[in-house]
Amino acid sequence: MAESDALTRAKARHLLRRTSFGVTPAEIDRLLSSASTVGAAADRLVAFRPKGFKPGGRYFSNVHDAWFGWMLKTTQPLAEKMTLFWHDHFATAYSKVQSVKLMAQQNQFLRLNCVGDFRSMVKGINRDPAMIEFLDTTRNEKEIPNENYARELQELFTLGTKNLRGGEGDENYTQADIVQIARAFTGWSYSRTKPVFRDWAHDYDSEFGTERGPKVVYRSTGGFGPGGASFSQAGEGETEIDQVVDVIFRHRDWEGENTVARRLAKRLFEFFVGGRFAQVATPSVELDAIDEVILRSGFTTRWNVGALVREILVHDRFFDSLSDRGRKSVRWPVDVAVGTMRVLAMKPKGKYKYVPGGQYGGLLDHLRNMGQTVLEPPSVFGWDWESSWISSATLLARHAFVRDVAARWAEGFAPLALVSPASGDPAVVVDAVTEYLGVKDDLSPAEIAAFRGFLGGPVDLSSDEQVRRKIHGLFVLVMQSPAYQLH
Amino acid sequence: MAITRRRFLSRGALASAGALLGPGLFGHPFVRDALATPGLDRYLVVLFLDGGNDGLNTVSPIDDGGGSLRFDYERARLTGPGGLRLAPDALLPIGVDPNTGAALGLHPGFAGVPGVAAGAGGLQALHQAGRLAVVQGVGLPSYSLSHAEAFSMWASANPFGIGAYTGGGWLGRHLAPLYGATEAPGVCIGGSVAGELQQPATGILAFERLDDFDFPYDPADDPADVAAKRAAFVASCQQHVTGTLYDAIGTTGLSALQSSESYHQLGRTPLHSVYSELDRGLGYDLREVARVIQGVEAGAPNVAARYFRVRNGGYDTHSDQRGADPDGQHFSLHAEVGASLKVFFDDLEEIGAGLADKVAVLVWSEFSRRPMQNDNGTDHGSQGPVFLVGGGVNGGIYGNHPNVAESAWDDSGNTVYRQSGAFRSTDVRDVYGTVLRHWLGLSNAQVQSLLPVDSVASLPVDEQWQSPNFDLVRPVGGVPLFKT
Repeated sequence: MAESDALTRAKARHLLRRTSFGVTPAEIDRLLSSASTVGAAADRLVAFRPKGFKPGGRYFSNVHDAWFGWMLKTTQPLAEKMTLFWHDHFATAYSKVQSVKLMAQQNQFLRLNCVGDFRSMVKGINRDPAMIEFLDTTRNEKEIPNENYARELQELFTLGTKNLRGGEGDENYTQADIVQIARAFTGWSYSRTKPVFRDWAHDYDSEFGTERGPKVVYRSTGGFGPGGASFSQAGEGETEIDQVVDVIFRHRDWEGENTVARRLAKRLFEFFVGGRFAQVATPSVELDAIDEVILRSGFTTRWNVGALVREILVHDRFFDSLSDRGRKSVRWPVDVAVGTMRVLAMKPKGKYKYVPGGQYGGLLDHLRNMGQTVLEPPSVFGWDWESSWISSATLLARHAFVRDVAARWAEGFAPLALVSPASGDPAVVVDAVTEYLGVKDDLSPAEIAAFRGFLGGPVDLSSDEQVRRKIHGLFVLVMQSPAYQLH
Repeated sequence: MAITRRRFLSRGALASAGALLGPGLFGHPFVRDALATPGLDRYLVVLFLDGGNDGLNTVSPIDDGGGSLRFDYERARLTGPGGLRLAPDALLPIGVDPNTGAALGLHPGFAGVPGVAAGAGGLQALHQAGRLAVVQGVGLPSYSLSHAEAFSMWASANPFGIGAYTGGGWLGRHLAPLYGATEAPGVCIGGSVAGELQQPATGILAFERLDDFDFPYDPADDPADVAAKRAAFVASCQQHVTGTLYDAIGTTGLSALQSSESYHQLGRTPLHSVYSELDRGLGYDLREVARVIQGVEAGAPNVAARYFRVRNGGYDTHSDQRGADPDGQHFSLHAEVGASLKVFFDDLEEIGAGLADKVAVLVWSEFSRRPMQNDNGTDHGSQGPVFLVGGGVNGGIYGNHPNVAESAWDDSGNTVYRQSGAFRSTDVRDVYGTVLRHWLGLSNAQVQSLLPVDSVASLPVDEQWQSPNFDLVRPVGGVPLFKT
């Protein structure tokens, strides 16, 4: 555990870049002055009460840009990172929901619960109108059950298809479980912005021959024994779909560990630490880490996400990439976009929120090209992370974005307000810019030489023309390097 | 006055990309002969139908023949409000199921987009030209109803996760040993490299539009700064330990820089379809493919892609699927696919005589859908049809229609995979294997090394793929899938 380790500048930077969007030296200074250990810093980072921000606007682009604007200016960046995590986890796309109001309402729900009780959150998402529309709960009626939500509730939101053993016999649930849970959800729909239960559409299923009554699940998985687990003892409708969640949260894997807790901890490790947690072997240091943070946070009793995240931030694995560059993580497009604008003190302009330089493209276009349109995830799985973010298309889009933010004619970009190199000597200038952008320690000597080579000779820092050619250009180049795409 | 990069380049200030990049990097691979795969003067386009296409309303029984396919179909697909049943006279006949003798028809959407001249006739027209092969009942043992798992099983052709074959797609495994890291034998139209083509070694390109595939220099820069930035960028991409993310990003960056300079020019090529009403979505994606093929045929420098991947989404029709209603979701999807493919082959004809005979399109989806419909939709299912389209294909019906009788469903209500009996399924690896062997010219042994045969103790023998058949033939007449 890194809990009581001294908070070094490198560790402070690492904590901030993974919990915020980009990091400025001033922010590192602030964290260093307010905490002396890693544990104290983590406590500070997770100690916030989420604000009730709801992105408004009439059109999709307005809501998109409103959320982006809030990410830029919020004083609770971890709340936005977590909201983004939940948006990916409970992926819901505007193109099917077709209501900006419902998408905004869901976004607010995710934010308010972002570090709260995970079990309550899943119960809430059951009744979220955007989700009810997106995964067809509203079309799940008696005699014609629609399995879409029942499947994804288990596969994506809670259990995952397979537990961590791998190979044969590792399934967490069966098709029969999906059918039983789909039955429980029959009759749910929404009216305007509120969930409604329609009793007339509930349950009866001719194949099962009975009207209503208990539904038994997990006869062969979950550690419930051959009798399985059942819900709806206390009645159908309102309480039944809560009981479904309670049963799922009692599901145990082959080692007797809580299946939901392990899977969420794994996802959060992937999110905050990196891709090596995507494939967890049994046994492995990754699985040990997962079990440790669950135990230390008491996650299986309180389901408190904030406490779980806090334990991840103080875990040794969280800091692995500081000593092993091979363990870095690919920054999400939103992280690059928001982080770059924050760190360069730039703001999107005008009604279409364009980036004021280069080709003056709108934020929405830039992010779409980079491969991440928030509120429009590509599928029910959300986005693919890590190396999947990088292709020739998305990489060039990242390059175009950073080019525009710091282009020679970028409006309002004032690099010498951000860095103040002691002289125009190429080595001094490259040192200052790479340090400011947080990649100095991640560059190879040949890269540093190449950046110095670009400057050619001493830069006249008093010449606006020189600054625009050389300093603007150097910022763009550093932000186009592989190191800047990682954190 | 600012000079744009293109004007600058056309002035010849950057005499050759290779000179700036240094020897060894781009010296050989991009200019290596594109025919590294034996016999490959051909192209393969993979079209993925994302979400699980309902096969039963893609190729549907028109009558019972000597069995009960139509009867069983009508038990599962209902009439009236929310019903999905396609009437016999609405279906577009394409032939006879070899097993039951039932007449089969394509969904009426495959006749083209109503009221749109471009791609008129759609997939039906390609069928009539003898260019459509339908492989029925394609699946894998121990199928998954999860989109992600099923996609991964199909794209990897490795459903049981045999170690040596994990982490790549079936085409990626084929390409990896043949091409170097900065070569670009494949193009994905879209933002990312798709599953079938994934592998660690070669530089598969991904872009949405040729027009936008362009390295973003600062338009305000003068030539000296452009050259200096280019050199620094190349250096920053080259300096990393193999196998790390730095290296992967650097390699992608170099490949993007080099390729975009060649590919970008192709975006200007006029094609017949430029004027079509299908100038969106899949039609547009396939037009970009046609332009790259045109570039390869014309010998454009550094343009050597032979493998392409396009995607059409929207097939997860749990709801609002509708039957033959032209405004319905499934109809629109079929209409767009059929018409876009027709325009694509029209374009190829226009580009060069005989070119359509050198291009094959493989159309697949991660699973089909449940025979028994729900209200106006269908849930996830198992085996479905795969299409192969092209002038080099022997059109017709291959493989058996799945048995959709209720008595034959499994516990999930889905049709079953069997390697024996009258309703024998076709394993997707037999389809891939036939493509690799007879379209891409690999030997039987080479194909076997790419497609793992699995042996799973918990499955009955006839539910496993134990006897690979990389020589698929039409049951009627023994005609092979590809012309020789």
